[in-house]
Parts: sequence; C-alpha cells; structure tokens
Amino acid sequence: MKKSTSFSIRDIAQIGLMVAVIEVSKAALSFLPNIELTSFWLIIFTLFFGWKIIAVVPVFILIEGTIYGMNLWWIMYLYIWPLLVLIAWLFRKNDSAFFWAIVSGVFGLCFGALCSIPYIVIGWSSGTFMSGLRAGFVWWVAGIPWDFVHCGGNFTLMLILYKPITLAMRKINSSNIMI
Amino acid sequence: MKNNTKKIIIGAVILIVLIALFAVIWNKFSAKPTKGAKNITVEVVDNEGATTDYTLDTDAEYLRQAMDELGDQGFSYEGTESEYGIMIEYVNELRADYTADGAYWAIYVNGEYGQYGVDTQPVTDGDTYTFKYELAQ
Repeated sequence: MKKSTSFSIRDIAQIGLMVAVIEVSKAALSFLPNIELTSFWLIIFTLFFGWKIIAVVPVFILIEGTIYGMNLWWIMYLYIWPLLVLIAWLFRKNDSAFFWAIVSGVFGLCFGALCSIPYIVIGWSSGTFMSGLRAGFVWWVAGIPWDFVHCGGNFTLMLILYKPITLAMRKINSSNIMI
Repeated sequence: MKNNTKKIIIGAVILIVLIALFAVIWNKFSAKPTKGAKNITVEVVDNEGATTDYTLDTDAEYLRQAMDELGDQGFSYEGTESEYGIMIEYVNELRADYTADGAYWAIYVNGEYGQYGVDTQPVTDGDTYTFKYELAQ
C-alpha cells in the first residue's frame, strides 16, 4: 500500500468511489429494515485504504444529510460512523472473517444504545439528568428488537462477504489498479 | 494465530453476553399490551392548536385497534404502511406533509413523547394518547 499524506487526484477519485459504493449499497438494501452494508464497507475500506477513510466518513455523512435532511439522526451519524472506523483501525491487524463478523455484529447490536445519546441530552436539557437518562433508556429499549435484526444482518453479511471482498481487494492491490 | 483465536473467543463471549443482557432488559422494561377492558382518552391537537377529545371503552391491545374503534365517534386517520408499521399522514382529514413543510403527527402518551408507532403502542387503562400536529425544528 502506497503511503501518502496529501490528496492526489487518484486519492480523491478513490474516496468518491468508496462513498458511491456505500451509498449505492445503502439504497439497494433500503427496503430491508436495519439490514445495511455501510458498516461492512467502512470496516473494509478502513482495512484496505487506511487514512483515506478519514475523508470518506465526513463526505458520506454530508451526502446523507443533503439527501435526507440534517435532523436528529444526522447528529448520531456524526459520532457513530467515526467510532466504527476507529474500532476497525484499532483492530486492523486482524484478518479473520469471524472476528470482523463479531465486531460488526456488536456494533449493530449497540447501534440503538449509541443513538440514544442525543435523547439523553435533549431530556437533560429540558429537565434533570435523570429524566434525560430515562428518556434515552425508554427510547433505546423500544428499539432493541431492531438492534437484534441489525446485529444479525451485520454479522451474517460480514461473515459471507469478508473473504471474497478482501480477496478482490488484494488482487486489485497487487495489480496496482487502485491502491 | 493463538492470539487471534483468543481475540475471537473473547469477542464471541462479549457478543453472546450482550445479546442475553439486551434480551433481559427488553423483556423486563419494554411496554407490553394488557388484555381486558380499558378506558382511554384520545386527543387530537390540530395545526391551529384546537383540541378534540374522544373517550373509549375498549379491549384493544394496541393503539391502532383503538383508533379503528374510534371511527364511530368521527375520528379518522390515514397513512402509509411500512415495515415499521403505519406512518400517519392524516388525522381527522388534516394532512401533515413532512416533505412540504416538515409537518408530522407526533404521538404523546400521558403528555410524554411516544416511543412507539400506533401499531406497537400498547393500550393501558386510564392512559391519554395525543396526536399533535407539529413542525420539525
């Protein structure tokens, strides 16, 4: 992998392609509630494209906000996806499909809990800290069944796709087409 | 290799423990429907702040069933069905058009912002369910 500290035209093109892949995958699976490939791609791109992911995440978040409106969920995106990228980067030396399926599954399972943070803040700002905590807790509990779906989807998709996609990425890498 | 196996085992244990913990929390703290007769109030607050109250004796377990029963009293609703349940667009023929001006029908349960859609909101005796026309901020 070529190391670089500034954006070249190739880097910008790659970043654009990565965002496009995430957006297209997201749109293609939008009919399935809480089944998504965003987690999968962000992990894979972090493992294979290194520092370039730092540009991919904000571009992806900005595009999402532009398409769907910058409401409360958008605030959640500002810390949730960077957190996933950080976790992927910390464990980047692992090359086990099962390991990444677990990481992606845990992330999907905790997605609702992470999303409840703004509700805690909103509840706190309009009352006491405890009322904020209660608001966030009630909101999180109501969505736990969907967190199970998210967990199962993330785990399964990573387990199935990790090997073929990493194989393809390595072939691209060795032929120096993209990376 | 050995280190990797250890990480996978630790990760798998964390995942299983979290799933079990979340299942227990959901089982203990999620709102559940109750059987039997209930007396409830349904309140509609329109775009001008005018309130219309409806009272209902019902065996409905979920709010949507109770809303269907309220048709006899002149209450009406329409919306779009989705995997998450119905997304309400019209209440008493007043449309909240989110795409036009950010308007939506908010659901309150006893004055607190509801956490469920009408398909999954359990009905409890003595509760007040409010449909309020609101604009996104």
